[in-house]
Amino acid sequence: MPILEANNLTYTYSIGSPFQKTAVDHINLQIEQGEFIGIIGHTGSGKSTLMQMMNGLLKPTEGTVLLDGKDIWAKKADRRAVRFQVGLVFQYPEYQLFEETVYKDIAFGPKNMGLDEKEIDRRVRETAEAVGLDEKLLEQSPYALSGGQKRRAAIAGVMAMEPRVLILDEPTAGLDPLGRTTVLTQLREYHKKTGCTVMLVSHSMEDVAKYVSKLLVLSHAKVVCYDTPERVFARGAELEQIGLALPQITKVFHGLKERGITFPEEVYTVRFGAELLRAKLEGSTPPC
Amino acid sequence: MLKDITLGQYFPIKSVVHRMDARFKIIITMLFLVMLFWGQRLTTLGAGLFFVIVATACSRIPPKMIVKSIKPIVPVLIITGLFNLFLLDGGKIYWKWHFLKLTEEGVHTSAFMIARICLLIAGTSLLTYTTSPIVLTDAIESLLSPLKKLKMPVHELAMMMTIALRFIPTLIEETDKIMSAQKARGADLESGGLIQRTKALTPILIPLFVSAFRRAEELALAMECRCYHGGEGRTRLRVLKSGLRDYLALAFTLLLFATVILCRIYVRF
Amino acid sequence: MESLIKIDHVRFSYQTDEENAEPAEVLKDISLEFEHGELVAVLGHNGSGKSTLAKLINGILRPTSGVVTVAGMDTSDEEKLLEIRQHVGMVFQNPDNQIVATVVEEDVAFGLENLGMPSDEMRIRVDQALHAVGMYEYRNHAPHQLSGGQKQRVAIAGIIAMRPDCIVLDEPTAMLDPQGRIEVMRTVKMLNRDYGITVILITHEMDEAAQCDRVIVIDHGTVHMDAPPNKVFSHVDEMRALGLDVPQVTELCSILRGAGYDLDPEILDVSTCVEAIAELFSQKGITQNADSGSK
Repeated sequence: MPILEANNLTYTYSIGSPFQKTAVDHINLQIEQGEFIGIIGHTGSGKSTLMQMMNGLLKPTEGTVLLDGKDIWAKKADRRAVRFQVGLVFQYPEYQLFEETVYKDIAFGPKNMGLDEKEIDRRVRETAEAVGLDEKLLEQSPYALSGGQKRRAAIAGVMAMEPRVLILDEPTAGLDPLGRTTVLTQLREYHKKTGCTVMLVSHSMEDVAKYVSKLLVLSHAKVVCYDTPERVFARGAELEQIGLALPQITKVFHGLKERGITFPEEVYTVRFGAELLRAKLEGSTPPC
Repeated sequence: MLKDITLGQYFPIKSVVHRMDARFKIIITMLFLVMLFWGQRLTTLGAGLFFVIVATACSRIPPKMIVKSIKPIVPVLIITGLFNLFLLDGGKIYWKWHFLKLTEEGVHTSAFMIARICLLIAGTSLLTYTTSPIVLTDAIESLLSPLKKLKMPVHELAMMMTIALRFIPTLIEETDKIMSAQKARGADLESGGLIQRTKALTPILIPLFVSAFRRAEELALAMECRCYHGGEGRTRLRVLKSGLRDYLALAFTLLLFATVILCRIYVRF
Repeated sequence: MESLIKIDHVRFSYQTDEENAEPAEVLKDISLEFEHGELVAVLGHNGSGKSTLAKLINGILRPTSGVVTVAGMDTSDEEKLLEIRQHVGMVFQNPDNQIVATVVEEDVAFGLENLGMPSDEMRIRVDQALHAVGMYEYRNHAPHQLSGGQKQRVAIAGIIAMRPDCIVLDEPTAMLDPQGRIEVMRTVKMLNRDYGITVILITHEMDEAAQCDRVIVIDHGTVHMDAPPNKVFSHVDEMRALGLDVPQVTELCSILRGAGYDLDPEILDVSTCVEAIAELFSQKGITQNADSGSK
């Protein structure tokens, strides 16, 4: 059974007003336990709305969200408990830091869950380590941290609830290349270590392609495709048509294909591409 | 939508009144208010009603909107009405119980008071329905500019007002986002008593304040980079212009005003 | 002719609160010159000192030692600041926090209002600036009705209405989505090309730097490289070590070069890269036909 499931999920803003807009339009989706999913789409494609419905922050205007097969908006369902299981990290999460110390801020979620001191302490220390925050920083004010550290502290605050599904809305927005790689690598480690399901919303194919096991592409409130990166990138022309930029390396291989230099595999990382090219160049070189 | 709050009550259509110079509209509204409080009962009500009807017709604001503007003050009307009804003395006594009594004077005054407040709200609503807050700010700055000589920070106040109007939608959106983010971390904003709820606001208010201060700092820097150095020597893109129609409207109001005052002095009814 | 902007042996450190603390030096003896009409990227990771450099150029900050001159005026001269800021406009990262007015066209007019320009002349300049950035239809909108990219273009219009010689943009695309980034970069390049405005683009995005004519790489408060983008990005390993990215094609070519293939190290775009690799294959005698034949 999938851990999260969307059935006919729809959300319409400002119904009945001139601003009425359907942000998510009858989406069906099954998220399996343990996947690392990249969610791609341009602004207004419905990514954020969909994510907020997945953890019960927004109530769908139509359709259902099932967590472990149970409707999260059923009469007796406890939505707060749902939010602890489906953790959501918003865009620019450092804007929600508020406690006196980093430690207390990370502990905010677990405390709301009603855990005991010892358990909270374990979780704070573990997640701080997972996002690479030094033990010494925990007693500092969150406002004294650097930009990248603040971002990671805020992500740790959601991780500390140990959700079974972790959703992140553009966790790398505004960070420099090093900051981006740090966050994404840590997420990959966290995913490997905990085995939890991770959903990563991003604008950039280039960034997420190397980390995810599946890609969900949204456009105009609907699902365009939901598949492995190879199969998604194979539909390059279609993606470009809806305004999504392919990684440069993928474009190079599509260009080579037009020249008649073909490869059976779809390429979206530089390292893999270079290997393929070398193999082909060397393999076809007459031995001397 | 919440975001449209900056428009205030502004009702964006095209009409003679909308096109009028906001400074004149403010002066006319002031005159109207003075008239309501100065005149004798019947003439005041008559003149006030006449003014509101003419102004509404010229502004093309649906009368429904005027009625709507009165709705929120219904409790005030009821309280004022009851006070005057039972506590005033004079004229025929219709009914009496301990210190409460219903007299002729009470009935008249109470009816008059209610009518006067309704007219007052209708008149001022017309001003805000036909003038956007930003134009209103400009007009107030212009009208108060003589006070600059008395070292009153008129320009600064107007600039503050403009910036506040500019950032209200931004901050509302931000509040929304912070609330959602904290709810996602299990913050409970809906249950508990007053103290608990107030406490639950901390995770929202602190980030909001921090962000507002950061915005203020960045905005100040951006303004400085764009050569802002206070109101001195500053010109405006949109110059408030007055024309014949503004003077005519003012003349009409003055005429009405004079009639009411003259009635008060000579006719006495 | 004198350079438009001259940064001469500039050092800068922020004042710290603690008296004993050694003030951290953000810029260490930087000397740079910017000429009229240049399109320059200042590339560096967060904390490299690139934003501080930007703030020195129009006198928001004054150098601890050394001299910054704009069109011959020293930025340390308080009297000249207003004039310097008419020569050098600045656009910041967060589009929301630099728009002052509640209506687009009034915001564009803000700088001109501060200069005390007559209303009719202002009207012409505002309309021209809005046309230039393609936001004229939106002149009566409220800022919060616009997308991030549109807001940033309004901010740019507000600067160019003042007809500066130079615009400094401090990470103007960091908070924008891909569409907004494209809009802003297109606008910036157009201003440079069609209006001859000097553009200094502070960024950590390599694909933006690759679109400029000159790239200055800043690291730890010093100028690490100052060269055209193809030269800068050909140093793949060095850029990586500085915490910066290089275009994927440049990286691909660099790996293949490492494996002994003869590829130009200065390739930046996809089509040149495809061309070069195809050439490699044809040199090896692997063409379409040979390829299908070999299987």
